[in-house]
Amino acid sequence: MTPETVDALWLDQSGVYSLAELAAMSGLAEDLLRELVGYGALAPVESAAPAWTFGASCVVVARRAQRLRVDFDIDTHALAVLLGFVERIDALEAELRALRARLPR
Amino acid sequence: MKYKDYYAILGIARSASADEVKAAYRKLARKYHPDVSKEKDAEARFKEVAEAWSTLKDADKRAAYDQLGRHAEGEDIRPPPDWSRHFGAGDGAAAGFDDLDLSDLFAAFGGGAARGGRAAGHTPRKGSDYEAAVEISFDQAFHGAELELDFGVLEYDEEGTARRVPHPVRVRIPRGVTDGQTLRVPGRGGKGLRSGAPGDLYLDLRVRAHPRFRADGQDLYIDLPLAPWEAVLGTSVELPTPAGKVMLKVPAGTRAGQRLRLAGRGIARADAAAGDLYASVQIVVPTHASERERELWRELAGGSGFDPRADLGQGGNS
Repeated sequence: MTPETVDALWLDQSGVYSLAELAAMSGLAEDLLRELVGYGALAPVESAAPAWTFGASCVVVARRAQRLRVDFDIDTHALAVLLGFVERIDALEAELRALRARLPR
Repeated sequence: MKYKDYYAILGIARSASADEVKAAYRKLARKYHPDVSKEKDAEARFKEVAEAWSTLKDADKRAAYDQLGRHAEGEDIRPPPDWSRHFGAGDGAAAGFDDLDLSDLFAAFGGGAARGGRAAGHTPRKGSDYEAAVEISFDQAFHGAELELDFGVLEYDEEGTARRVPHPVRVRIPRGVTDGQTLRVPGRGGKGLRSGAPGDLYLDLRVRAHPRFRADGQDLYIDLPLAPWEAVLGTSVELPTPAGKVMLKVPAGTRAGQRLRLAGRGIARADAAAGDLYASVQIVVPTHASERERELWRELAGGSGFDPRADLGQGGNS
């Protein structure tokens, strides 16, 4: 018996999450997330605010960070550097897709 | 279940120290991780290596694995009678092992989840998150779609016994999703334990290319071939859009490479303005011309002062 239909929600754009929610959704410990914010790999909406909130795009980054951390067995500093490079790769791939879209077939 | 020799997979001796296990894993992870590997069967090899590592890196799991004894790769095995009880992997009723993989056995360890009734026990545990790759068509992405997904997942009961069960999910994909996007389906992950909340399901979306429309975020591009006289004189063309055909007015003097913008006819989504559709102009010429056509073209050539290479110049200053 298939359960009722549920809505799949956007992850990349709208939605704001607390540090605890981000930890739960990514599988990363809160301390580790704080470290990543310290390294500049994750950016809360307002870093000066007493309680951080994060945009939904941070969920993608945090989940990726967890996967990289487990897959490559690396420390937090290396992880932060790696995330920076992955971000650059993402940007390049997006630019490639945009350029390819404009090229005639 | 089939035996896998984790030591052989990592290329280490059974007596390897924890450091040696770690070093072996790191080397192989770098070699086979799909994100950085150039090897041809990288993904499968990495999965194998990661599975071996996750069992051997934990002292308890490694001890439990060693207790299974030495076997040939691929040999059909069953854990010895006392194995499950001793390592707390649940009730261990023989029937439960047939449809499990070797890795499923050890996935139950750790985090206090296993060890049978001795588990510290009454706090509810949230179910695990699942992640699945889903491929949809351009039309499904554009209009939104209801999908029926079903994948086999591992579920654990109160005692930590693992079973492979089907996990059907009906999901409504919102309209306007783009290739590479991640969607979250709350509460459709693994079952929670002891009345814990269920985990979430993450969908990694791939959108198949459309034969005519190319997507760049929410904007769409379509090639618009025009005959030379159409570009010079202007015309009206019927253009397909994802939402149906429209008439597009092509102004006189339209150049090759120009992009004619149809505002709002790109990809729409609930929480953002729709993108645009761009008709990318190409001037195409017939490959074969009749004698009469060639006559007309020669007349036109003779009667026109148009110099397409004016900018190329003759070299040197003027």
